[in-house]
Amino acid sequence: MLSGPPTPPPLLTLRRAAKNFGGVRALRGVDFDLQAGEVHALLGENGAGKSTLIKIITGAHQPDAGEIIVAGRSLTGLTPSLAQQLGIACIYQQPALFPDLTVAENIGLRLEPAGSMRRINWSLRRQRAQELLTRVGADLSPEAEVRTLSMPEQQLVEIACAVGAGARIVVMDEPTASLTSREQDRLFTVVRELRSSGVGIIYISHRLDEIFALADRVTVLRDGESVGTHAVRAITHAGLIKLMVGREVDQLYPPTEFTGGEIVLELRDVDCAASGVNHVNLAVRAGEIFGLAGLVGAGRTELARVLFGLTPADRGEILIQGRPIAPRSPAAAVALGLAYVPEDRRRHGVVLELPIDQNITMAIHPRLFPNAWLKLGAEQKLALDFIRDLAVKCAGPQALGGSLSGGNQQKVSLARWLATQPKILILDEPTQGVDVGAKSEIHRIIRQLAKAGLAVIMISSDLPEILGMSDRIGVMRGGKLTAILPGQSDAHAVMAAALGQESEKGAA
Amino acid sequence: MIAAKNQPSWLRSLLCYETLLLAVLVIEWLIFYHYGTSTNRRGHLVGFGTLDRQFDILRHSCEIGLLALALTPVILTAGIDLSVGSLLGLCAIVFGKLWHDGGLSIPVAAALTLVVGAMGGGLNAGLITALRLPPLIVTLGTYSLFRGLAEAITQGAVTYTDFPSGFLFLGQERWNGLPMQAWLFLLMTVLVWILVHRTTWGRSFRVIGFSPEGARYAGLPVERRVSIVYILAGIIAALAALIYTARLGQAKADAGTGYELFAITAVVLGGTSIFGGRGSVTGTLLGVAAIAVLKNGLACLPVVIRLNAAEEISGLLTGALLLVALTGNAIPTFLKYLRAHRPAR
Repeated sequence: MLSGPPTPPPLLTLRRAAKNFGGVRALRGVDFDLQAGEVHALLGENGAGKSTLIKIITGAHQPDAGEIIVAGRSLTGLTPSLAQQLGIACIYQQPALFPDLTVAENIGLRLEPAGSMRRINWSLRRQRAQELLTRVGADLSPEAEVRTLSMPEQQLVEIACAVGAGARIVVMDEPTASLTSREQDRLFTVVRELRSSGVGIIYISHRLDEIFALADRVTVLRDGESVGTHAVRAITHAGLIKLMVGREVDQLYPPTEFTGGEIVLELRDVDCAASGVNHVNLAVRAGEIFGLAGLVGAGRTELARVLFGLTPADRGEILIQGRPIAPRSPAAAVALGLAYVPEDRRRHGVVLELPIDQNITMAIHPRLFPNAWLKLGAEQKLALDFIRDLAVKCAGPQALGGSLSGGNQQKVSLARWLATQPKILILDEPTQGVDVGAKSEIHRIIRQLAKAGLAVIMISSDLPEILGMSDRIGVMRGGKLTAILPGQSDAHAVMAAALGQESEKGAA
Repeated sequence: MIAAKNQPSWLRSLLCYETLLLAVLVIEWLIFYHYGTSTNRRGHLVGFGTLDRQFDILRHSCEIGLLALALTPVILTAGIDLSVGSLLGLCAIVFGKLWHDGGLSIPVAAALTLVVGAMGGGLNAGLITALRLPPLIVTLGTYSLFRGLAEAITQGAVTYTDFPSGFLFLGQERWNGLPMQAWLFLLMTVLVWILVHRTTWGRSFRVIGFSPEGARYAGLPVERRVSIVYILAGIIAALAALIYTARLGQAKADAGTGYELFAITAVVLGGTSIFGGRGSVTGTLLGVAAIAVLKNGLACLPVVIRLNAAEEISGLLTGALLLVALTGNAIPTFLKYLRAHRPAR
């Protein structure tokens, strides 16, 4: 794939690396290589397989197929400790330091050999920490407690650890996500210095500007496959976006029949400082599927939590059918006709230790059991109806939630909220981690619900899903609803709005 | 829990934890009946096998039994209440003072005592739900607080006695063949069983125990439900205080000292998971019975009488029984863990 003069052997090569999680194919044969002294950017939508690729490189996951070659050595059983020995270091978005220990102690813990009876040479430890901090250009005291440091300072400590460990391959996973532009500049200087000292850097970011400022080459992942590696000099912003999303929306999505309805839910200047939701204005109509797109952390789940009373709004108005409401708790939101199918179904959507029927009736206790007296027959019957209607594959209504596959858990979570007969249904990543078959079934169910007059808000990081299902598409970025696009928009427009291409040129 | 999936359902229900515990209880009882009963020189039956002794066991286990009933919903929500024994002491003193010094009639004093119990539980509930403090710490605090209050009221010296015989009837007489407090205990058992197993409230205790976040996301009123289990525990502790006072005929500040630990042991021995969610009132009842029979039965064994060490040996065996039960319950989970974490080849 590379042209030009013969290159020295790469620091790291992945050949046809593949990884499945249950039925989900996270990586389907990815080729990737990293040269000494280059910054190689890794780009892709949420769920394209970047994290999985990183975890394979750092030894956290074993690939199901394919080959990892580090410094000419083909490795079959790469473990995190072996990766460390081979000089692979990873710097995560959230630094993993011990907050109550000092900088020198944290560095010492990473670099000094372990041994319970070993004496600690405190002055040597301090001196070494000081040297490393100076090398990465960090103006920090080795004696400072890590909890007193800012996020970028902590990242510098992590980088110092990587340098101290003699890392030849450094993975940086969205390192600038929480940095100001000045902190970002300082980080870039450090990265460039690492590069000139011959370290290979794998740099993951959603911000295209950074990739153009910093990277030498860029590999784009899509649906677990590499769609190409390019020299950054030879590609444009638009070209990259096209690579990221460049596929046809498949025709499997059921067609919309929405023609207009009364406004069911309206938001006026809704703010929630605690969760970063900022001046959101929005109106959703009965029968409409309103897709909510954006990058992870753009504030979509946070907005859903505000609506559902989990983190109540501090300012602005929320109206249901023209009537102002202020849900202060999920219980209150449910009573107002709101339903929220949460993103993390194993923690919030389904109680894994309880059977399906109890999970389904959990949100309708007051209606199904008006005297608080359980009527197990009625419960069972209701559960059986939902199991049939939503085609939940299970041993019966008494099967535990934890015994179901992801897609069937999602159906149970959905059933719980349909049982409340809501006016507004908020779905958060309804098909994340769900196999293909269950995915199209869930899409069909969502479409039917909208047809029956529900107002649906569908949060999704799956761009084809957003494009295929939505009647309108709202795009969020940094807690704000930055654009509302028609349902027939193309992937390029949505991705550009999510990345903030138009509005933020030259702002950083 | 112990049964595998592919066994027929009758076998599965037979192999459940409660049945095993019942078997242990029966065996325990038969052993004590066999070795602990004898005939004295006059030809009378003495020891474990006498009806009087059996009623004695019942009488002595009602207060701890009530506390164990109170703790079952608490532990189902993955909470704990260490203060019930101290609250029992405080309520006994409050009752004695209201009747003796306050000049109130017995029914009014008893009713007010139940209110004080509810307030004690309410204090726990408020601290746990409003301030989101861990139940262990909150009730460790009120454990000392309630006992301290009881001692302050009596200045560590006063003991209220001379209760009217109408009240003592509650703790010392039989009614329709059984000791009076056994009827009360039975009534409370039925009520708590209904609450835990037949109402949406009991259902939500389990959900909260398994997953407090999941309960919140499902729109369940988590704070209100958690509050109610602690308030209920307070009321039941007050009821136990009344029975305790009636049984001994006196109210003193050290009433119920250490009872909370026996009660927790009984609940856990009864199969209720200390991590919340799992458990039953039937199990608690069997747990209470197993401990009570063990404690009293040992005191009838000739060898124990010769050693004069009934307390020590019963403590030893209760602890051993609890550890065996916990280990037995944990084995399936442990095997599953081993299977899941088998090193990859």
